[in-house]
Amino acid sequence: MALKQISSNKCFGGLQKVFEHDSVELKCKMKFAIYLPPKTETGKCPALYWLSGLTCTEQNFISKSGYHQAASEHGLVVIAPDTSPRGCNIKGEEETWDFGTGAGFYVDASEDPWKTNYRMYSYVTEELPQLINTNFPVDPKRMSIFGHSMGGHGALICALKNPGKYKSVSAFAPICNPVLCPWGKKAFSGYLGTDQSKWEAYDATHLVKSYPDTQLDILIDQGKDDQFLSDGQLLPDNFIAACTEKKIPVVFRLQEGYDHSYYFIATFITDHIRHHAKYLNA
Amino acid sequence: MEGEAREAPGLGRPAASKDFHFHHTDLYDSEDRLQIFPEEDTQMRRAVVQAEMTNQPREPMKGKSQRDLGEEVDELVHLYGLEDDHELGDEFIDESTPRIEVSEYPPYMMMGREPLREQRDWRLSGEAAKAEDLGFGAWGSAGQCQDLREAYRYTHGHASEEYECYVIPEEEDEEEAADIFCVTCKTPVRASEKVFDEHKEHEVTPLSKALESAKDEIHKNMYKLEKQIIEMENFASHLEEVFITVEENFGRQEKNFESHYNEILETLAQKYEEKIQALGEKKKEKLEALYGQLVSCGENLETCKELMETIEEMCHEEKVDFIKDAVAMADRLGKFLKTKTDVEISAQPEFEDQTLDFSDVEELMGSINTIPAPSAPVINPQAPNSATSSSVRVCWSLYSDDTIESYQLSYWPVQDSSPGKDGAAFTMTVKETYCSVTNLVPNTQYEFLVTAQNRAGLSPASECAVYMTAPCPPIIKSKEIRSCEEAALICWESGNLNPVDSYTVELTQAETPGASGVTESVVGIPTCECLVQLQPQQSYTIYVRALNVGGPSARSEPATVHTTGSYFHLNEHTRHPWLTVSEDGLTVVRSERKAPAGEPLPSDTRFTRCVAVMGNLIPVRGRHYWEVEVDECLDYTVGVAFEDVPKQEDLGANCLSWCMRHTFASSRRKYEFLHKTTPDIRITVSPRKIGILLDYENSKLSFFNVDISQHLYTFSCQLPQFVHPCFSLEKPGCLKIHNGISMPKCVTFY
Repeated sequence: MALKQISSNKCFGGLQKVFEHDSVELKCKMKFAIYLPPKTETGKCPALYWLSGLTCTEQNFISKSGYHQAASEHGLVVIAPDTSPRGCNIKGEEETWDFGTGAGFYVDASEDPWKTNYRMYSYVTEELPQLINTNFPVDPKRMSIFGHSMGGHGALICALKNPGKYKSVSAFAPICNPVLCPWGKKAFSGYLGTDQSKWEAYDATHLVKSYPDTQLDILIDQGKDDQFLSDGQLLPDNFIAACTEKKIPVVFRLQEGYDHSYYFIATFITDHIRHHAKYLNA
Repeated sequence: MEGEAREAPGLGRPAASKDFHFHHTDLYDSEDRLQIFPEEDTQMRRAVVQAEMTNQPREPMKGKSQRDLGEEVDELVHLYGLEDDHELGDEFIDESTPRIEVSEYPPYMMMGREPLREQRDWRLSGEAAKAEDLGFGAWGSAGQCQDLREAYRYTHGHASEEYECYVIPEEEDEEEAADIFCVTCKTPVRASEKVFDEHKEHEVTPLSKALESAKDEIHKNMYKLEKQIIEMENFASHLEEVFITVEENFGRQEKNFESHYNEILETLAQKYEEKIQALGEKKKEKLEALYGQLVSCGENLETCKELMETIEEMCHEEKVDFIKDAVAMADRLGKFLKTKTDVEISAQPEFEDQTLDFSDVEELMGSINTIPAPSAPVINPQAPNSATSSSVRVCWSLYSDDTIESYQLSYWPVQDSSPGKDGAAFTMTVKETYCSVTNLVPNTQYEFLVTAQNRAGLSPASECAVYMTAPCPPIIKSKEIRSCEEAALICWESGNLNPVDSYTVELTQAETPGASGVTESVVGIPTCECLVQLQPQQSYTIYVRALNVGGPSARSEPATVHTTGSYFHLNEHTRHPWLTVSEDGLTVVRSERKAPAGEPLPSDTRFTRCVAVMGNLIPVRGRHYWEVEVDECLDYTVGVAFEDVPKQEDLGANCLSWCMRHTFASSRRKYEFLHKTTPDIRITVSPRKIGILLDYENSKLSFFNVDISQHLYTFSCQLPQFVHPCFSLEKPGCLKIHNGISMPKCVTFY
């Protein structure tokens, strides 16, 4: 569990750091980024986990989204892990950008050869939080999660599969119904096999249907000019319909003219940080 | 000071200068001591002082002169009748020490080699110094005093400002300085001498300690003197006042006497004239009567004579003729004799005893010693804050010290049309120079005049003064009070028919722990509303008073304001005719029944197309939060709009309103956030209670699902003017507004 600091930069009074550690779940070296706001100097702060999208590393979010000011003001520790195990030398790992390396899909793979390393769900919900709680001044009782695209999917399933674990959840252009979209079908068949009933355990739209009546406030921003939206990769309408059915509170904002990029994320990141701060600092 | 000295009768000496203050307080405590300087003793005192002056520094025969002086003073003391010379001397030593040593110390220095004798001298010369002091007090000048002090300094050989060294002589020129102080002899001695000489058995203290106590004593005495100076100054100015009063009073009395005596003299002269005239008339009347009598007497005599002559002639006639004539004569004679001759004197020569009536003169004489009729009183202008809404307190005074038995106070309301003509004047008699006139009409002007009265008669009337009753208390429009966390807008009705000058709002924090209980006032409010700044999360009791020149009215009925959240009512004037607003002004209902045919006429204030109503939000640029309870099946629009939002357009359909609209059709819900453009927002859980946060500071309007603390949408809106909450019902149903509530925590993040 030894942490190796890769970098540390002062930012908005706090420190943006990157660490490397040997992951037990993933059986490889993993990097994660962590922002420690100034408030951590005087006490424990809530932890907010960011799950990135396809092809991303821990670097994309911390360098592009411009979340630091809001996190500094609200006193949130923001943790951004990598999106998949790396360097496991699994055949086909590097073949496509939407499967394998950089495309862990935040599931625990059950199929060979992935099941040994590709346990991103357990990594982000168990191992990483424990690591963070042990090594940083965070309040283990206060954590939330958000993400973008595949990470948005990850954030939604983490929250929906663990009622009460996360105080709040939000997503930018999440893959809302992976079992019905090409990315999801490809990834889930690879990691989970052909039994589609197993897929549903990692599908936000399906998970909503069995979600208990527990307070969870979901904020989703979606660019209207997002090509993946029109390609049918994201399917937010299905998720909204399910939530409406189950009376799970969602505010879905279809943002005119925005696409799938980090420019879009940067535009609304402050709203999301505030959304989480509202629950984490309540 | 000079004036007072000149005028004070007992002193009568123009030269009584500043030193006048130094007279002992006895001067004005007992009358006989005022005569402390009889005129005939001036000579003596001058001698004393001169002796004193010549005996000042560098006079070798000091001791002797001192004793001589002492004797002189004793004489003086007896001359002035101050038997208690001993006491006086003591007092002097106690209280006039700073002056003593001026004369005292130099001799001491000269006699330094004979300490024992000097000690005695010192005691004795206390009185001498007293004499000097008295001398200064009487006609010495400050300059002289100063001279003496300077002379002392010169003699003494150093420039010390302290004159109080009579107890501790400084003997720096001695070979060996004295270091202890003999209490018994009151003299410093050298410790080495103590053993041998006469101080052997005496009590001694260290010199420094003796110096301390002596200085203390001196300071105490100086303080007493200062007090005395102040007292004397006060007394002198008091004397001056008394002097002026005496002059005035006597002058007036002189005039009074003069006028009275003139009156009496005039009366007497008049009486004399009357009497003389009456006497002359009487005399004339008597003389005339007597003359008449004399004339008639003469006539009678003539007739008698004529008869006699006729009879004599007859006697010479023939018998026949005689008889004929005698018969006729006899008849005539008989007739004549029958008429009585009045021999009574009609008028007596004596003077009839007439009593002289001096009663009126006596009365006049008697009234001289009493009082003149009073002069007209001076009615005071109305004192501020002296009136109530039904009474005024009228005050007046007199120029002079007239003796007054009573005053007649008349008053009548000032009429706009014809002043004083109405004749509805009231009069009351009072003993005092003031009167509280009650049972008056509020906020009304009355004219008052007052006449003084005593045995001698009525004074002329004072001038008219206008007094005004205070207004009636205003009536707070409790239903129109709006508030927020920092302020409240209070409205009221005047409660008075006539305009008042201004209003005062008083606010007291309700009795909560930590509340100060202090009443704050906002004064000089010209209109019937006031925006008052308050502390958040408190309760206030608010009163309003109306003010005019007469004073403030009583407090209005209290109104209570809670500075928790923002509080407003729905504005009836904006209400679409199809809507009804509940009694509490917080529920708006659109009823099921068919709306009346035909649309109402367009209006600037009233919604005519969109079935809406506005709330009256307090015009304060802060954060305002309120909630609206909605039916999930209802079509409604809630938000804010400028006051001048077009009333013929739908809310949110223009740049002057920002709204959230819910439409429910065929089991599909649509939530729209309407301004110029409509963002595409989808909400999965229908709010039953919508929280609305209006934040002027950050130019934002946010909507929340209150039950689940969910943020729905935030408008960024520039609000150069104030906006008001607006509510519209597109279908029959009702909206219930909750306000005056704290902002939920989740809202504070937006």
